[in-house]
Amino acid sequence: MNPSVTSLAHMPKLQAEQLRVLRSGKEVLSGVSFNVAGGEVYGLLGGNGAGKSTTLAAFLGFVPAASGRVVVDGLDVGSDLAAARRAMAYLPEAASLYEHLDARENLDYFLQLADMRCSADEIDLALDRVSLGAEARGLKLRSYSKGMRQKVAIALAILRDTGILLLDEPTSGLDPTAIDEFHGLVRGLADAGKAILMVTHDVYGACQVADRIGLLRGGQLVAQFEAPPGGRIDTETVHRAFSPRAAA
Amino acid sequence: MGRRTVEAMSARSASASVWSALRREAAFLARDRSAWAWWLVVLFLSVLAVSAGLNEVHRQKATIAHLVEADRAERMAVLKTRKEWSAVYHSFHLTYDPPSEFAFAALGRRDDAAWKHRVRMLALEGQIHERDAGHPVLALVGRFDFAFFAAFVLPLVLIVLLHGLRAGERVAGRHDLLVATAAGDSGRLWRLRAGLRATVVFSAAVLPLVVAAGLSGTAAPTLLAACALLFAYVLFWTLVCAVLAAWQQTAEVILAALVALWILLGVVVPAAGRIAIDRTVPMPSGADIVMTQREAVNAGWDLPKANTMAAFVERHPQWAAYTAVERPFEWKWYFAFQQVGDQKAQALSEAYTDGRMERDRLAGWLALIAPPVLLERALQVLARTDVRASLAYEARVRDFHASLREFYYPKLFRDDRLEPAALEGLPEFSPRAAGR
Ligand SMILES: Nc1ncnc2c1ncn2[C@@H]1O[C@H](COP(=O)(O)OP(=O)(O)O)[C@@H](O)[C@H]1O
Ligand SMILES: [Mg+2]
Repeated sequence: MNPSVTSLAHMPKLQAEQLRVLRSGKEVLSGVSFNVAGGEVYGLLGGNGAGKSTTLAAFLGFVPAASGRVVVDGLDVGSDLAAARRAMAYLPEAASLYEHLDARENLDYFLQLADMRCSADEIDLALDRVSLGAEARGLKLRSYSKGMRQKVAIALAILRDTGILLLDEPTSGLDPTAIDEFHGLVRGLADAGKAILMVTHDVYGACQVADRIGLLRGGQLVAQFEAPPGGRIDTETVHRAFSPRAAA
Repeated sequence: MGRRTVEAMSARSASASVWSALRREAAFLARDRSAWAWWLVVLFLSVLAVSAGLNEVHRQKATIAHLVEADRAERMAVLKTRKEWSAVYHSFHLTYDPPSEFAFAALGRRDDAAWKHRVRMLALEGQIHERDAGHPVLALVGRFDFAFFAAFVLPLVLIVLLHGLRAGERVAGRHDLLVATAAGDSGRLWRLRAGLRATVVFSAAVLPLVVAAGLSGTAAPTLLAACALLFAYVLFWTLVCAVLAAWQQTAEVILAALVALWILLGVVVPAAGRIAIDRTVPMPSGADIVMTQREAVNAGWDLPKANTMAAFVERHPQWAAYTAVERPFEWKWYFAFQQVGDQKAQALSEAYTDGRMERDRLAGWLALIAPPVLLERALQVLARTDVRASLAYEARVRDFHASLREFYYPKLFRDDRLEPAALEGLPEFSPRAAGR
């Protein structure tokens, strides 16, 4: 076997190397290092203000690395931003699309923005995958619930068909059934080879779906957990690390 | 060769994607009801401004038509009922400055400077400056004409439409998704959005102007120049708004900053500049001229007649041999001291004209840092409603009055009698040919 091909296949899709980020002069990420490979769901777990969204912002090039670096698909975000962004689909926290457009029109607009064209069938298929009711698809988003909006935004991330997905608190607006469905969807995407970085403060949810979990506290990666082959990460263990007092 | 082909192909695909991006944003904007609402609002305001201008021009034209008709008839009536020089004394002569075919768009000085006079053979300077002083409020803020609308209202609409270009998306939680999703240069998205919204404003503003220009018979180059000015002005404010909209601040802060800039450029700089210019260039008031001339004329009754005639002859040496005044009242002496009244007021009158010209010149420089004023002034130049046009009209009134004197003086000095037949060649005021 050709060794260079093997190393390419195992090359991480997302890499943070000793990442340090300042916001308004305050250090909000200090020396964070981790990577996410294709076929893997990486759960970035942490409380409010831990620096989860900032980590995603660094990958997306919205905040510069004060030191260290972030690499997307082999591209340094600091020097090759446009190409790096093309390689990622992003689901923002509390994602909202255009209220005066319906689901299909929203998807159509954002896909064109990404210089993509999808057929109506492809769009409907993606909306099926996020199980948005057929009767809702022609309605303006202003009549949608928070969960329905979230589904449309997820459908957009799926349709972008990038190798990498960055998800910021994707399940925060969803009811338990929808969360289960969503986790199934994320698992399926990872199994199809995508690298998924999912930010959450939901310990249980992260353990359900992630292959690995990084625990972020005060801008530092304080622990990492890895699922045993064929199994899940133990919720108890993570919970103890996440919130030592509550678990005691 | 291969390299060049690749470059050409990527250039072509880049321009193709600009077009598709433009189509995408245009379709997006077309679905935005508020954009249509703003288009209608701007259209409505523009129609309002243009029709106010058309009405005013129509009113001025009707006034002139009425005066022109009355002028001749009245003079004929006077000549019939009065005799000889008494008739001349009582005769009025209409002078006027017809509005240009583009005056409706920028009424300019036609609001505060006189554009019609009824002058007599008497001392002139007082008659020129004794006009109704104009509307004080109008003189201060100007009428709601197209120039005012374009210079002051349009920027506000642009500010309202563009200040939240990015901050609005940030508040709605879409900003980062848009930027992260946009292929290539994400700045292009904001440029396109700003440009299209500005196009909405420009098209709604310019449409009524073009229609009204067609109705008024405005010359094509004038209209084109006005459209180009308006375009440049909208572009200026669009750039200003786009630059501030890129600022990482809330929409409210950006809005406040833009409105402050609008107040600075549209109100503070012009007002402070006007005060500074008025201080720098002092000039007599019109009332000073009226007083000086009136006092000189009144003094003429009491001064020795020889003094008056000597002062008169200084200007008109050709009548030196005819200056003997034997009777207590003679018309040539009377008209001579009227002329001397003008001579006494001449220095003041020239200072007044020079002062207005100089102030206007400085205001032109000031306008370079106050774009709203620059646009207004430029439109007034196109409409011939600026200070220069007003001064040019006054000069034409003086020329006309001089031609009246030239016509009457030989009759006055050679032969004190005036036969009706002699009035055949009476000069008539000819206004500047329309569409100069
Ligand atoms: N735009 C910003 N400017 C300044 N500080 C910020 C900004 N965004 C986030 N922060 C700060 O950075 C820290 C991490 O924030 P964030 O990454 O949003 O946390 P999380 O997503 O884990 O809740 C917090 O202390 C927050 O106050
Ligand atoms: Mg967050």
